[in-house]
Amino acid sequence: MEILDIINGKKADLSKIGPDAEKEKIDITIPGKKEGIGHLNPISIVRRDIEDIFMGMGFEIADGPEIETEFYNFDALNMPKNHPAREMQDTFWLKDKKGGENLAMRSQTSAVQAKYMEKHKPPLRIIVPGKCFRREATDTTHDHTFYQFEALVAGENINVGHLKQVAQDFFSQFFQKEIKVRLRPSYFPFTEPSFEFDITCTVCGGVGCRACKYNKWLELGGAGMVNQNVFEAVGYKRNQYTGFAWGFGLERLAMMKYKIDDCRLFHSGDLRFIRQF
Amino acid sequence: MKYSYNWLKELSGTKLSPEKAAELLTMHSFEIEGLEKSNNDLGGVIVGEILEITKHPNADRLQVTKISIGKEKLQIVCGASNIEIGQKVPVATVGIILPGNFEIREASIRGVKSFGMLCAQDELGLGNDHSGILILDEKAKAGELVQKYLGINDNDSVLEIKVLPDRAHDILSHAGVARELSILEKRKFDYAFDDLILPKKISKKLKVEIRDKDLCKRYIGAVMENIKIVESPQWLKERLEICGLRSINNVVDATNYVMLELGQPLHAFDLEKIKTQNEKCDIIVRRAKNQEEIILLDENKIKLNGDNLLITNGDDALALAGIMGGKNSGITKNTKTIVLEAASFDAVNIRKTRMALGLNTDSSYRFEKDIDPNLTEKAMVRLLEILEHIADGKLEGIADIYPKKINSCVVNLDLEYANQLLGEKVPEKELLNILNLLGISTQKKKLLQCAIPTYRLDLRTQEDLIEDIGRIWGYEKIASRPMMTEVLPAKINEQVFFERKIQDKLLGLGFDEVYNYSFYGVDDLEKAGLIKKDHLQLRNPMNPDQEFVRAELAINILKNVRENLKNFSEFGIFEIGKCYALKNNKPVEKRNLILAKVLGKDGNSETFYNLKGAVEDLLESLGISEGSTFGEPKVEPSEIEKFMNPVRVAKISFGENVVGFMGEIKQSVLESYKISKRVAVAEINLEKLRKAAESLIEYQPINKFPVVSRDISMVVPREVRYLEIETLVKKTGGELIDSVLLFDRFEAKNSMAIRIEMSAKDRTLESAEIDAVMEKIVSRLEKDLKVEIRK
Repeated sequence: MEILDIINGKKADLSKIGPDAEKEKIDITIPGKKEGIGHLNPISIVRRDIEDIFMGMGFEIADGPEIETEFYNFDALNMPKNHPAREMQDTFWLKDKKGGENLAMRSQTSAVQAKYMEKHKPPLRIIVPGKCFRREATDTTHDHTFYQFEALVAGENINVGHLKQVAQDFFSQFFQKEIKVRLRPSYFPFTEPSFEFDITCTVCGGVGCRACKYNKWLELGGAGMVNQNVFEAVGYKRNQYTGFAWGFGLERLAMMKYKIDDCRLFHSGDLRFIRQF
Repeated sequence: MKYSYNWLKELSGTKLSPEKAAELLTMHSFEIEGLEKSNNDLGGVIVGEILEITKHPNADRLQVTKISIGKEKLQIVCGASNIEIGQKVPVATVGIILPGNFEIREASIRGVKSFGMLCAQDELGLGNDHSGILILDEKAKAGELVQKYLGINDNDSVLEIKVLPDRAHDILSHAGVARELSILEKRKFDYAFDDLILPKKISKKLKVEIRDKDLCKRYIGAVMENIKIVESPQWLKERLEICGLRSINNVVDATNYVMLELGQPLHAFDLEKIKTQNEKCDIIVRRAKNQEEIILLDENKIKLNGDNLLITNGDDALALAGIMGGKNSGITKNTKTIVLEAASFDAVNIRKTRMALGLNTDSSYRFEKDIDPNLTEKAMVRLLEILEHIADGKLEGIADIYPKKINSCVVNLDLEYANQLLGEKVPEKELLNILNLLGISTQKKKLLQCAIPTYRLDLRTQEDLIEDIGRIWGYEKIASRPMMTEVLPAKINEQVFFERKIQDKLLGLGFDEVYNYSFYGVDDLEKAGLIKKDHLQLRNPMNPDQEFVRAELAINILKNVRENLKNFSEFGIFEIGKCYALKNNKPVEKRNLILAKVLGKDGNSETFYNLKGAVEDLLESLGISEGSTFGEPKVEPSEIEKFMNPVRVAKISFGENVVGFMGEIKQSVLESYKISKRVAVAEINLEKLRKAAESLIEYQPINKFPVVSRDISMVVPREVRYLEIETLVKKTGGELIDSVLLFDRFEAKNSMAIRIEMSAKDRTLESAEIDAVMEKIVSRLEKDLKVEIRK
């Protein structure tokens, strides 16, 4: 007991002694030693967000090759040779062929639709995020290489109201606020009816502000009810199923989320850009 | 296409403002790309009255004028000689911007101040006349806007519509858009189409023959005599200009006007130039002969083949059908008799020809999207009407060849299905009214039989009809509805989640993720020593730098390294992406990971070992450290990547399974990319890696008995590799060896220090036992590997 007291007394004395405390003292404002953690490309971040939300809604993530045969990129999507709609997308064609078939860098993730449906029967729900290519002049909002994500739902009695709901749920989750969806008429050969797709401005919520240039709505992409010709091309009976599909640019979502003003940055490899995310 | 709103108003009878109409069209029909007030106020140029003209003191050709512009008087220097005192002329005052972005400024011209400009016709953007100042009507009042006295209507708006291929056949015309507007306002479109019937006057001068009926569905020719070629009236010029077309002369302008109104491209020939004999003319529509030539209106001489359709007079090619007229058959100011053409050509053929020849005209743009053959008649009648008025033309007669008349087709619509697909019940009365407005007559049987008018080529399935019903009724009326479906978990995409895992581990190791294009150029093939025939090649690259589909991720990564070295001295980057090799002429897709590392101080071998450490960390964290090896590549030249330093490259493999390689980039390649530092890269195939990482990690019991460690320091002969030492130690020590670790190395002397950890699973090792093992190890090292142990 006595010994313990002595020890404790000594300890107390020691801690009071000035010079030792002086030695212990350090400048805690000096920067820490960092190992350095890497950064994801913002496209990857957005892609994960999208995948997670859709998985929560029971969608499977599918993918296909980036080099597609003419058949899957066009014909199976109700765009036979010499269809004027083929010119809606300027396509990179390859000199090489596969078994006599023309090859293209896929101009849309929709190319995966037919492939997937050939192997699966409805009901089905998939999303296809992926790299796409179009031979377009590049500027701050266009790049010849870009990322799309495609959603496809097929089953019995799927209708336009379902498309609206799924889109609304997804965008509300993604932007963490209530988003409304507006459909406008459009044309895509692989859907009928076809829509252009707007969502309420993510900044003002549809009241009108500088971000949406007082338009209240932001244009996001194309959508529609799957054309029965597409179902027929994969071997489903005409009018047995209905479904909807859409395709949006991932870049656009990333640009909205992070206020990025030049889409070419995503493929720049510039660490001054990537290290911000 | 650009549309004049006044024109649309006239045709549709709408009372809506352009803004309201644009909104209505946007929500129910198609995208509006622009709506602008037509810029025809001439920038604010006003009327001036000339009060005085004096000679310029320092220039013979110039005059100094005093001009009244109402309240003010201006001094203006002028070079034209056609002016007289008392005349009214257009005055552009200081600050006004004339066509061509020419701003009027206060100026001093040869020492005399000038406060504006008197304008010639061309300076106002009204024509080509530059012969003198435009003299206005005497009644013009000084100070008022000039446009008032030139019959220019400035109240028009230009509507620009994005016309998609499905509706091109009817919407690339003012009548088409006017019809659409009427429908949206629930009014019947009352354009007098039914009155547009060809006169029954058969031409004595013109005969038409269609040789290739599959490529030309109808050809109407009409001969008009007594034509006077003059400038078009102002109203006609204005409308063309608003739609972006240049005025040429009354006949050509009239053909363009009718095209803009009805959507049917038309053409006019000079009969004098195409006639064969005795003032007669035989038009023969046929395929071109091989190597047949034609000089087009744009003066280009082109060679044709049997895929191209020609309008000929038997021998000579007069026009490239549906695309462009010939230079030698066109209208000139001396033309007296004309042959007018309204025809219907095969869309696919026009498209092929114009693509093959690289031509793109207003005409081919419409034909290649197909046009209703019945439109030719309406357009021809309209054209004749207009030419009678503006060119004093007298119809001589008509030749109409229409081998197979196109009639309306029937589409059966299931009303229940329509409501089901839209997800909302459209009241039947409204639905029938919409169809009626669309010009579709209906008959109710079990299904609704819909007779589609020939001017709607796009309505062929019931879904097409449902779309029109839905959009005209209003998509905004369709409520969102939750899907009623089984609750099923989403099937997990293993590859996606494996890649996420890889990304996350690499972030932890300090690597940043880059994305690159999937292409590189021939220049890169040369720099990196890649082989062209291993690559897929684009037929139509953006530029030569992006001609080949990447077979290696490393190439674009090197460019990332070069660019980032401008801002950073040390970094690690990675990319996950697809690359394509061409093997036996077949594309082979690989999903690969590439890592690249550059160090601030890169010494001799630091960069290599640093990246190797990262790769080892990554593999270990995936549970595949055991059995993975970094072997030297077997020397099979095709197997080693040509751009790698051959003595600093290693295969990454698990057993026999090679999943990738790592090493340093060859010095010469670095130099060609202007990179002055060592760069280490590792490329790993992710599908193979995932398979290797599939086996589950199994827990190993933690040893209850103490672990003893002993160090050995040695100088190793150059030809002996570290792996041989480690292997020998493990073999000699047997089960007792837990691990062997190289913890120090001095490169100059090739001295190494290793730490050996030993334990037994069932007992505490005695020091005698340890010493015996160590002795054995040391002696084997000395004997087998000729290592010099430092004591």
